[in-house]
Amino acid sequence: MAKSSPTFSESWYRVADQNIRLRTGIKVRRQNFRGERWFVLENPFSNQFFRLRPAAYEFVSRLSRNRTVEEVWKECLEVFPEESAGQEEVIRLLAQLYHSNLLEYDVANDAQQLFERYKKRRHKEVKARFTNIMFMRFPLFNPDRFLVNSLPFVGKLLGRAGAVIWILVVVAALKLVIENWDALLNQSQSVLSPQNLLLLYAGLAIIKTLHEFGHAYFCRKFGGEVHVMGIMLLIFTPIPYMDATSSWGFRSKWKRILVGAAGMIVEIFVAAIAVFVWAKTAPGTVHNLAYNMIFVASVSTVLFNANPLLRFDGYYILSDLLEIPNLHQRAANQLKYFFKRHVYGLKDLRRPTDSRKQAFWLTFFGIASNIYRIIVFSGIILFVADRFLLLGIIMALVCLTGWIVVPLCKFINYLAASPELDRHRTRAVASTAILLGGIFCFLQFVPFPRHFRAPGILQARERTQIAVKAPGLLDEILTANGSRVTEGQALVQLGNDELGLELTAAEAQQEEIKARLLQAMKMETANLKPLQSMLQAADDRVSKTLEDIEHLTVRARQDGIWIAPSLPDAEGRWLARGAAIGMIIDPSEFEFTATVVQDDVDRLFTDKIPKAEVRIPGQAGEVIPIGALNIIPAEQRLLPSPVLGWSGGGEIQTDMRDPEGRTAAQPFFEVRAEVLEDAGQQLFHGRSGKIRFRIGSQPLLPRWIRRLRQLLQKRYQL
Amino acid sequence: MITPSRKYAHARYRKPPKLHKGLDARLNALHGLYRRRPQLLRKIREQAETIDREADDWHKFKDSQLRNRLFELRDRFRRTRETDDDELVNAALGALREAAHRKLGLRPYNVQLMGALALNGGFLAEMATGEGKTLTAGLAAVLNGWTNRPCHIITVNDYLVERDCKWMSPLYDYCGITSSFVTGGMEPQRRQEGYAADVTYTTAKEVLADFLRDRLQAGLIQDPSRRLIRHLLGANRPGRDEFILRGLHTAIVDEADSVLIDEAVTPLIISSQRANQALTDASNLATEISGGFQIDIHYRLNIRYREVEFTKAGLEMIDEVCQKFHGLWRNPQRCEELIRQSLLAREFYKLGKQYIVEDEKIVIVDEFTGRPMPMRSWQQGIHQAVEAKEELEISDPTETVARRSFQRFFRYFHKLSGMTGTAREASAELWQIYNLPVVTIPTNRPCIREEKPDRVFLSADAKWKAVVEEVQRVHATGQPVLVGTRSVVASEKLASMLAEKDLRYNVLNASRLRKEAEIIAEAGREGCITIATNMAGRGTDIKLGVGVADFGGLHVIATERHESGRIDRQLFGRCARQGDPGSCQAFVSADDEIIKKYLSEPEKKMLRTALVSRRPGAAKLFAAALVRAQRKSERTAAKQRRAVLRKDVWLEQSLSFAGGGED
Repeated sequence: MAKSSPTFSESWYRVADQNIRLRTGIKVRRQNFRGERWFVLENPFSNQFFRLRPAAYEFVSRLSRNRTVEEVWKECLEVFPEESAGQEEVIRLLAQLYHSNLLEYDVANDAQQLFERYKKRRHKEVKARFTNIMFMRFPLFNPDRFLVNSLPFVGKLLGRAGAVIWILVVVAALKLVIENWDALLNQSQSVLSPQNLLLLYAGLAIIKTLHEFGHAYFCRKFGGEVHVMGIMLLIFTPIPYMDATSSWGFRSKWKRILVGAAGMIVEIFVAAIAVFVWAKTAPGTVHNLAYNMIFVASVSTVLFNANPLLRFDGYYILSDLLEIPNLHQRAANQLKYFFKRHVYGLKDLRRPTDSRKQAFWLTFFGIASNIYRIIVFSGIILFVADRFLLLGIIMALVCLTGWIVVPLCKFINYLAASPELDRHRTRAVASTAILLGGIFCFLQFVPFPRHFRAPGILQARERTQIAVKAPGLLDEILTANGSRVTEGQALVQLGNDELGLELTAAEAQQEEIKARLLQAMKMETANLKPLQSMLQAADDRVSKTLEDIEHLTVRARQDGIWIAPSLPDAEGRWLARGAAIGMIIDPSEFEFTATVVQDDVDRLFTDKIPKAEVRIPGQAGEVIPIGALNIIPAEQRLLPSPVLGWSGGGEIQTDMRDPEGRTAAQPFFEVRAEVLEDAGQQLFHGRSGKIRFRIGSQPLLPRWIRRLRQLLQKRYQL
Repeated sequence: MITPSRKYAHARYRKPPKLHKGLDARLNALHGLYRRRPQLLRKIREQAETIDREADDWHKFKDSQLRNRLFELRDRFRRTRETDDDELVNAALGALREAAHRKLGLRPYNVQLMGALALNGGFLAEMATGEGKTLTAGLAAVLNGWTNRPCHIITVNDYLVERDCKWMSPLYDYCGITSSFVTGGMEPQRRQEGYAADVTYTTAKEVLADFLRDRLQAGLIQDPSRRLIRHLLGANRPGRDEFILRGLHTAIVDEADSVLIDEAVTPLIISSQRANQALTDASNLATEISGGFQIDIHYRLNIRYREVEFTKAGLEMIDEVCQKFHGLWRNPQRCEELIRQSLLAREFYKLGKQYIVEDEKIVIVDEFTGRPMPMRSWQQGIHQAVEAKEELEISDPTETVARRSFQRFFRYFHKLSGMTGTAREASAELWQIYNLPVVTIPTNRPCIREEKPDRVFLSADAKWKAVVEEVQRVHATGQPVLVGTRSVVASEKLASMLAEKDLRYNVLNASRLRKEAEIIAEAGREGCITIATNMAGRGTDIKLGVGVADFGGLHVIATERHESGRIDRQLFGRCARQGDPGSCQAFVSADDEIIKKYLSEPEKKMLRTALVSRRPGAAKLFAAALVRAQRKSERTAAKQRRAVLRKDVWLEQSLSFAGGGED
């Protein structure tokens, strides 16, 4: 409404002579927020709260049965001339109190109006339930009496002794967790498998029930009443919930925070015990259940409960810590204010906050929470849709309506009809149109260079495998890895004593045959022929052995660079004939073999010749220029090098059955890119890296739409 | 003796229709369009023609026979207590037509039958002035009177109340129903008698005041059902039960647009005065202090929204003032408010335009219609600030006991209907707020009003000069001229200009109301010049003098367009009544207030260039701009009224702990 409400009101006569006062039984508590004092009125019958400024409270507290509103107002004017409210404000305040059922008055309640108000409230609740489809709540019963009766039994645990136990157990459990980290991580892969879902749900139900009782007991312990317990459908998963909102009336913020954190405290404690159970049991139902509880407690705490960006426990804790109640609302107001003030030029708006620092944090919180919310909920929707497509679509529609359609309609209505904009409507509409149009044009028409990356490996175009031709022990590496070699240069020296013996044996045999041949010439000419061929064989054996001995020195077969990075590991080891020990490459010509996944590959085919560049990790600053691209138009599964696969530390998922780790789980396309000669830098054969294809330019919006369609197509065959 | 159940009826009124919002409002608007569809008029016309065809049958009846038939009809109506049986209504109207002929000497035309049918159907019948609305209302009132449910005919002033009632009473007597009237200054006893009649003539002010007094009597418990239960249980009686009204059911509102639209937000206040020395002193002091504030140095004006914006220097000055005085002035907000009000009074509330001074009192002039509204007062503070400016005695702020706007009141009727000459422009609002569909009844004789195209001028001076010349020209032909001005100041200015030319004229404006009847009676005579603000006699005709029809009848000149097209049409409607000849023309300029206020700067600039260029299309462009400006102003006003109603409803609901709670 107006900037400052007028002192006098035409409707004052309606309330001036009334004897109204606060309902009896209303509890009043004082709270401090950022050094400001507030009064909280609590109606214990309806569990409704109302927060008042001191000035307003001074007024309200003075109302009594034997004084009229006017008398009280005048008194306030005299006592607090500088802050007392105008008549208009008083009327508004009384109306609000009346709507919150906090007033007592002499007229009997208008039953019809009461019913209407009740109906309206019910209506709102039902509507809220369906718009909040991810967290539908169904209240069931009142646990207060149970809590009161059982509090003596658990009460001690909520005190100092409990805290000590909690710390001991959690620290011990943490130690166990660290020790068994790998096993824990390993087991997580099967958490969402169908066989485990039932156990997962059991874990969730147990943890969340205890979580809620944590809130409830702490709240009860500090004197707050807990009247509602029921079932909440968290993403269609029924879990219990309790209404501990009465803690908002607590005077100490630390108590409020403790109640807010109680759920997590309990959850972590239970998870800690579960860690022990898990560690001490063999795989089986108990073991698995314990594991699921750990999983639920940790994931839900990190993603939801402890996270202040969503409206769960963490949010309320933060809100209490910062002493900014209604953080969400305030943040939204701050954003709106910023927009209205600076874009629409509304000058006389009331600032949502006076402190610059607070304004900054509110803005930050507003933006961050919105982004986070969208990410989390999109994730949830996709997750649900993966399993139950229809449900996912319904949820997406509800979210779309709640977050986009309704706010959009409201916004349009605001632009078109809000009295606030009366004088700025032209500017508001124009600036909105320009802004939206600008964003649209920017996304639709301004081309951005398109690029995508693919992993690959750098290889020399000409490379000669060097294998061992004669078996032997690796005696000595004559040429270091990476050095330039000329043809015939000795690379490696193998040692093989057997070959020496063999040579001796062969030569002895040769001698013998020669002797026998001389003998036969003299005595039995008939044996001559066979002996001659035996001699031939013996000669062969000698020369072969000599050749092998020669081959024990492995030599370069061509000029180039000697690449044998893993050779030093093999020193002193036996190398069989034919074992590859390295290669000699031609350093003048390199190529980059990239593996492009299916999603991206059509872009390579559809567009004109893409430009590309290669970056090698460790020399990311330098870019290796690329010449011609050769796309091999066939799906492949065998990676050019195991380095690219998961087992080799690469990013391509490999098939588990392949011990070598060279078979990719998904088919890919191979692209060979010629590395231009004037690379001007040291290139290393076998280094893995990334190729970045730049395929023309295209505006962002069509690209995003394409991505979305691809996503839907791939996941749901839509 | 009054039985409890009758008391129940006396306290009863309709729960007002819901005020829709958002999408519902759009749907409701569509519903309104449907209820105003042209086919309805055809149906009404056919029904009237049917009645007309059977007229001869009635004509044959002897007097006693006709009376018997009328009493029979009355009994039938009284049994059903409804008036929605077409056949019965046809028969009744046929008989009534004959009765009217015999008793009043007036035989209702078909269009009057159509009007009566429309009123009976719960429409707002748009009927041109001079078409016999009194008789039309009388016919409809008989039908409602027969049901014995309270039927109020609301007219403009006490004079018309009495006149119409007396005029129509022979017909009512003949039909076997009682009729009476209530005017200001009557004793409660006589009022009660007046309302006890089957048909009651009264003004909106009286009936609302009596309604509010009844509410006050009713005390804390207003709901008739709850009262009845309490009564039957013999519990302590909440308040006395002697109500003056006997409930609200049917209302036939004459000049409905002025009551339901123009004065809609004016609240009727039942009050007792109470001295408030603090406010009196504050107002005087604020006027004194604000004398030191200078425009553009200490504050700036926002003409369209009628606001004062303080500059930095102004705010500093306020701070200084805050230090100097005590009490109320110590609070900077209050201080700023008081000075702001004083400046508003200085800058935006002008003597002769927004108000006139009569008997040492401020009388507000309605800006839409130019009529003085003695009942009105501005919001707390402003009124006193204006009084302080005029150095009048500061009137004590009244202490309100009960208060209700006409807008809210007329929503309580089960069956609201009305008549006016001009309603089309407001039909959407009438539907939205009162669920009242508008139907336009054709005139009995074709209207031969000659509407000349607007004459457009660049500046106000040129316009006034041309107006004077035109008056001279027309005057020379012997045609009587009626010049409508928007404000008292303008009418005086024109008067002095005419005096310079030695022309004889009469001036009728808010400050010269006394001689109204005389001036109106004279206005139609040959060669007569009348200058009037747009208040000139609603409900009274300007009758053409002898032989004037031969000169071409009355010529009306509008010197400015009003904020609503309705008011323009009302002015033009002064001429060419009941098939008489007549002509009218508007003189407009780019300096006119409506242009200044409701068009944006670029639009204004464009208009000016167009006018300077004297291209042939300029006049057309100007006409379009005027239409646009009027639409805008009408929309703004309607929006304000709706906001007031909405706030009223909210308050009523939110403060129901203070009793009441009707909406």
